[in-house]
Amino acid sequence: MVTNKNEFKIRIFPPTISSLLNDDIDHQILSPLSCLREFETNWLLEFDLPLVNKKDIKITFDENMISVEAKLKETYAEEKLGVTTKFEYFKKTLFLPGKINSKKASAKFTKGRLIITIPKMISGQKIKIE
Amino acid sequence: MQISKTSPKENTLLVGFPSNGLVGTFTISYLVHYLEMKLIGEIEHPDLPPTLFVEDGEILPPIRIYKKNNLFVVLSDLPFDPFVAYDFAESILDYCKKNQIKKIIIISGMETINRNPKPPKIFGLVTHQSLEKLLYDYGVPKFLSGSIFGTDAAMITAFRKSKIPALILYAECHPFFPDPEASIVAITTLARVLEIKVDTNDIQKRIEWLRIQHRNLMEETIRSLQQQQQEKKPGKAPQIYR
Repeated sequence: MVTNKNEFKIRIFPPTISSLLNDDIDHQILSPLSCLREFETNWLLEFDLPLVNKKDIKITFDENMISVEAKLKETYAEEKLGVTTKFEYFKKTLFLPGKINSKKASAKFTKGRLIITIPKMISGQKIKIE
Repeated sequence: MQISKTSPKENTLLVGFPSNGLVGTFTISYLVHYLEMKLIGEIEHPDLPPTLFVEDGEILPPIRIYKKNNLFVVLSDLPFDPFVAYDFAESILDYCKKNQIKKIIIISGMETINRNPKPPKIFGLVTHQSLEKLLYDYGVPKFLSGSIFGTDAAMITAFRKSKIPALILYAECHPFFPDPEASIVAITTLARVLEIKVDTNDIQKRIEWLRIQHRNLMEETIRSLQQQQQEKKPGKAPQIYR
């Protein structure tokens, strides 16, 4: 068996100017990856939150805005151009394109992935079929 | 696309590039690291964004060729747009012909949005019947149905028309997040197929860090995949006809 004492590394791809990830270096906040999927009756919002314990996640709603904050279980450090930057938190706020029923929202956290299910608010006027 | 160096005549080429879950990138990078493979060349393309990596003062190109004994590797840290994907596939085929590569193995991720917490499965797809037995011998279930697009499809298209057979290993993964856990399954399967021993402890210990470190690459890869998917579609028909 071959052994290699060096640490396994993959080169970190430089983000483009239009990157959606806005890490806040001053406040040690990382922007997590997320994805939003629309179903007929609900929205499914998923956040990738590695290095996080379930008890340290806070989810808040404000109308159709959802915010997720989480404290990392250990400091995450990144070195670029000889400068080490440390991060302690994940934080991201997203706007959902439509009315939501936040009171009936539910969340599940497995293997560092947070899945939030948010029912849609269905309202409107019925049209009679003649 | 131009390959700047060639290597001696040998037989197996492994290929990894950013795709679903970054499975190919994680898997091949880990193998290069673990087997301490030697950098022997690079692939250049005028349409790729000018990117270089500097590691301990050494300048590294984004698409690199490695070698150890009879094993060759092409590893890309850049996702490709549709046009570059075809050129990339053709240049790999050309490289295989020049170096008498007997077979190539591509590692990629299979989009499984609702993946449950169980370990991911892996499936194999072969371009030539000569590799069917290999799937059976190493207990890799066959990829039976589904659609393939992007660089994977460009590679398969190029090789199925050639005399060099290709095996594509697809590990179930999250399509939008980096999935090093899926790559561990790919590494284990690849090690079995290559009949080598690979200890995955190092990558296992770093799963959570790798997921944070590769957010940008994942984001760029999703953009490229979406661009490739758009490219694949024929001209937009009116909604009613679709």
